[in-house]
Amino acid sequence: MNSKKNIVVIPMIIPKDKNLDKFGGWQWMLNSKTAWEYWCKKNGYELVIYDKPALEDTTKYKITIQRWFDIFNFLDDKKIEYEQVCMVDASYIPKWDCPDFFQETENKFTTTHEYDNFKWVYESIQGYKKSFEDYELDILKYFHAGFVIFNKSHKDVFEKFKNVYINNVEDFAHIQATVRRGTDQTPLNYVMSMEQVDMKFLPMKYRVSHLPRKEFLNYNWQLNEDKTPFFIKYGYIWGFGGFDKTQRDKLMEDTWNLVKHNYIENPTIEFLLDSINEDKHTNPATTSNKFKTDVWNFFKDFKDKVCVEFGTHKGQTTKILSYCFKKTYTVNKDLKSFDSAKMLNVGIDNITYVPFDLYSSEELKIDNVSVFMVDAGHKYEHVVSDINRCLSMTDMEECYIIFDDYGLDVHEEEVKLAIDEYINSGKIEIVKKIGHESGHTFGGSLGRTLKDSEGIICRIVK
Amino acid sequence: MKNVVFIVNLSEELKPNRTNPYQYSVKSWKTWCEKNNCELVVLDERIHPESFMNANWHKIFALQLLDSSDIDYNQVLIADADTMIHPNAPNIFELTNDEFCAVHGFGSYDWECRSIENYQKHLFPKVELDLFEYFNSGIIVCNKKHKDFYNKVINFYNSNQELITQMQKTYNVGTDQPVLNFLLKSENINYKQLGYEWNMQHMARFEILDEDLTFTKIGWIYHFNGIPDDARNYMMRKTSEELL
Repeated sequence: MNSKKNIVVIPMIIPKDKNLDKFGGWQWMLNSKTAWEYWCKKNGYELVIYDKPALEDTTKYKITIQRWFDIFNFLDDKKIEYEQVCMVDASYIPKWDCPDFFQETENKFTTTHEYDNFKWVYESIQGYKKSFEDYELDILKYFHAGFVIFNKSHKDVFEKFKNVYINNVEDFAHIQATVRRGTDQTPLNYVMSMEQVDMKFLPMKYRVSHLPRKEFLNYNWQLNEDKTPFFIKYGYIWGFGGFDKTQRDKLMEDTWNLVKHNYIENPTIEFLLDSINEDKHTNPATTSNKFKTDVWNFFKDFKDKVCVEFGTHKGQTTKILSYCFKKTYTVNKDLKSFDSAKMLNVGIDNITYVPFDLYSSEELKIDNVSVFMVDAGHKYEHVVSDINRCLSMTDMEECYIIFDDYGLDVHEEEVKLAIDEYINSGKIEIVKKIGHESGHTFGGSLGRTLKDSEGIICRIVK
Repeated sequence: MKNVVFIVNLSEELKPNRTNPYQYSVKSWKTWCEKNNCELVVLDERIHPESFMNANWHKIFALQLLDSSDIDYNQVLIADADTMIHPNAPNIFELTNDEFCAVHGFGSYDWECRSIENYQKHLFPKVELDLFEYFNSGIIVCNKKHKDFYNKVINFYNSNQELITQMQKTYNVGTDQPVLNFLLKSENINYKQLGYEWNMQHMARFEILDEDLTFTKIGWIYHFNGIPDDARNYMMRKTSEELL
């Protein structure tokens, strides 16, 4: 917990004008807010929503402009104490483990370079130049106003910006209508540069932006071992601007669904199922939500234990296991088979992906395993091999095996036969039947009806 | 002792149209060198056949070739032949603090991330590279301190030529650039990152590669990459006509 009181401020006012919903809605603002709430709490800071600009005329004085006019008064009115302020656009999401950038500022006005669309910046600088007495603004020192950090020593320069803006508001409105290259950002750049404000530029990783332009949305399609988009892997703060605004809500929503599990300390099973968003009724290769819930309910207090999953599909059951256990290993034949699982579970650092041929004669060396989740090959000989491998690996006093697809009719002579043989031989014993019960059908093609429970938890008999 | 600008201008059978505009690059560097009391050295003869080493890789012989040619030097700027420098550009050699200098690889992060990840997997599994420190090898400034480093690069190439060539063909994410980045990191060579104005890559992506030559109003060294050969030829010729 940090002893210094710093705050993050997000200007966030959802327009009442329903015509603006054509941009795809405003859920993206709420996701951004949730992410910043998490980041602030993690670092011991406070999140403040700037939601009431002082001037009522938000057409002439847009909220993006007014935030610089009255942020200090706004905070004083709310009796919020602070040392540094980070003003960030609502279209930015911090990565869950974004470092504490307040520590990087040296108490200077801190920001990032605008290395996105140089043409736009060049035209914007030229557009406002006459209003600033033909001052030569260095484009290579031009900053982006969507993420800046400042402190009380900058009150005067913000006041100067306010005066400049109000004195030139008609000119600026004309420039904004004709040049169409930004509202507050370029005038603010001019004022900061003309006032020779000492600035610190953070590295690019603190603001990755114009994601489509820079092809940051892609993943490594050549190695094909991890489908996580590059911007999530490599950027600290993700900016969702610089592209068609109608795409923003969808892109931010998709991103949020990929990463939201990292912004919650103790997720419920309902939250995790929502983040997985796929059930056996739509994808026969995964486990059902009921199966996952039963696993969660049985094992959620096994947080000091190690689990090994035989057979990785999309990492959905893996995700549930990772929140039940201290450590989860998931095993599949090669690295390419983990591509979707790694994306679904991005940021979950207690999962190890093990490329290993379960049906080779090689030993799988993982120690202290308390639970095995068996959902790999579905042929009789595969299941026998899996159980034998579990039996050979167990070195714990109490050890469980979870089986999927125990009761599915199509696997009756394969999976169920093998498991029942080991139960009957006394090597493993039934603890609990889980998932959907006998008679349930998952719909669709033949072979989707249960003749016994969907899954079963067994204990290895010592 | 003069500073040297070293350019590789070699034709390639695999890229027959690529070298057409290189004359404009040489001309621009020649003009700048004359104004800044530097010596321009152009390599136009192959050391190795194309089947063993492509043209780009020949840049790694810069320091060896200067030594063997008895050209004494202080610092050396190694430039790709698809770059041009503004004749009024300041003296870049005064910015280096005598360190290895280069510019971050701006442009397609899909290409760069794949480059880093693919080369790490197959050639440098123990070396961690920061994406935002990854440099474009189209403009590098080095000096005598880096002779040993470049000797290691040459040895590395000779020892891994088949795998490197295979990597180039399989993934198409760079030639000398990823290897230089990984080796610089693994050899703990100090590296000073210069600003975008000293190696302006992917100018079309940033919307400044236009008929107004907007890029010439922003920075100093123009790297005509990330565009088709025809566009490169056209823009380099036009830039030459306007600036030189």
